[in-house]
Amino acid sequence: MSYLELSGLQKRYGNSVAVDDVSLAVEQGESVALLGPSGCGKTTTLRMLAGLIEPNRGTMTLDGSEITQLPAHKRNMGYVFQSYALFPHLSVARNIAFGLEERGVGRAEIAKRVEEALALVRLAGMEQRRPKELSGGQQQRVALARALVIQPSVLLLDESLSNLDAKLRDAMRHEIRSIQRSLGITTLLVTHDQVEALTMCDRIAVMHRGRIAQIGSAEDIYERPATRFVAEFVGRANVLPIQRDAQGRAAVWGQAVPVEAAANADLFVRPQRMRIVPASEPTGDGMARLTGRVLRSVFVGDHVEVLVEGAGGQLTVEMPSGMAAPTEGGEVAVVWPRAESRVFAREAP
Amino acid sequence: MTGAGRVLSGFAALVYALILAPIVVVVMLAFSADNFILFPPSGYSLRWFNQLASNGPLLTALWLSVRIAAVVTLLSLAIGVPAALALAKGRFAGKEALSGFFLAPLLLPTLITGLALLLFFSPLKLTATLPGLVLGHMTVTVPFVIRMMTTALANLPDDIEAAAATLGASPWRVVRRVTLPLATPGLIACACLSFLLSFDETVISLFIAGPRASTLPVEMVRYVEGRTDPLIAALSVVLIVATLVVVLVVERLVGVARAVGK
Repeated sequence: MSYLELSGLQKRYGNSVAVDDVSLAVEQGESVALLGPSGCGKTTTLRMLAGLIEPNRGTMTLDGSEITQLPAHKRNMGYVFQSYALFPHLSVARNIAFGLEERGVGRAEIAKRVEEALALVRLAGMEQRRPKELSGGQQQRVALARALVIQPSVLLLDESLSNLDAKLRDAMRHEIRSIQRSLGITTLLVTHDQVEALTMCDRIAVMHRGRIAQIGSAEDIYERPATRFVAEFVGRANVLPIQRDAQGRAAVWGQAVPVEAAANADLFVRPQRMRIVPASEPTGDGMARLTGRVLRSVFVGDHVEVLVEGAGGQLTVEMPSGMAAPTEGGEVAVVWPRAESRVFAREAP
Repeated sequence: MTGAGRVLSGFAALVYALILAPIVVVVMLAFSADNFILFPPSGYSLRWFNQLASNGPLLTALWLSVRIAAVVTLLSLAIGVPAALALAKGRFAGKEALSGFFLAPLLLPTLITGLALLLFFSPLKLTATLPGLVLGHMTVTVPFVIRMMTTALANLPDDIEAAAATLGASPWRVVRRVTLPLATPGLIACACLSFLLSFDETVISLFIAGPRASTLPVEMVRYVEGRTDPLIAALSVVLIVATLVVVLVVERLVGVARAVGK
């Protein structure tokens, strides 16, 4: 049995279902991301785990004992809120001490552990400040220290980085990841930012419409998406409608492609896995190929996006910058390894 | 300043002048040296303030009003704050209906409340008693406190209470350590306004006050029915000053609480 197990969790609000059926097993010390667009039920799941929302159905167990009915204040979960939710009427030190005071820890012990927690998040010397006197990043660290100091069974991070600017977010990502690793604390992280999920977690659960669409390592999710939604949500993909040509083979833009011919399906290929070669170059072994005309190429800093148009659609190829960009309007061939092709059925509207 | 701005400012000044003008008249009359109300006064003196200091019935009524307002405030907070907590935080059937029920007295003309209380209190021998007047005033202040505190509690920052719960605070501890401290500015404002509402309450008091127990507003109404001297103007100035002091103190306290709180 895993350290933390969610099984068949469901939460309804009237007629709408926020979380439909979520089951998840997390090992001790593991870091798992719940990744998905807003409204997919990820925050609701996290709140049910913390005891802030009562599920309509399903169970949660922690370290072998069931916690489904346990009130929030008895669950020992460290929750870092998106808004940080620091206590505005208390100093930084008192904010961090709050959970220890509620546990009846002695004064000397509290002082010692608050000091350690502040050192851990590199905020030593800020003890007497009020939350409103701190920057966003500092408030975030106080919230983290406050959640960690109680030595929680599980650390729950709810979009904790989304209110920070891009640069700070990068730094905090690595900082939180290394704290999480060094303490070996089991962590569940909710985010809509795939980079956050990919860089901060051992495993990722992609959520869609109140269910887990796929769970796996970052590589699994990215390279082997299990559903059309996962393929579209994580990373970028060219979505090319598959037709059948006169011989009944699968075709895109009227050109045969080496994939299983399925009715009502689309071909997915990542833009970075495609290359542009001269139209005259023959197709290599194990490669798929489409020819088209270069519509535009756009320099985006670390790569160049080339938009290629064929009969009946467009696709994007990402080329490393520094390579000679193909001339606009020129005929080119787009090639990719066959193994990079993925076919997903079109969803019923 | 643009032309439109000047016109609007002028308009605002005019409205304020109209609102404040009667107060100026009252203040001038309070320092009148005349025997009866004459505007503008033919001379100025402090004689009406001296008269006031030796007017037994008015001073008795003032003292009664202060005592009633204090008791009303304490009881209204004692009942209203827990009710507001339950309405703002609790999850139970009939919550919406209860909210509506508690607010209903605010919509009812106090004239009707006063008449109903008179009919209801008479057989109970509560008219013209301190408990009767306190209960009467509480029909106004309790709904008011519930209303104000429900709003104040609903406006607390997101997730602060949830954060306290995840840190191990039981629901009661959350209220004590987080909810109430953060609602302190609202509590202070609420207490002061309750006091003023009760102190100022005239219509209900007119119905249930009697010669044995008469509040200040009632006594003032009776006084001006029979006399036309500037004594009431002097009393009004005293009340204006007292109210201003209360407002300043509240502003100060709430300001301090805000500074500490947010």
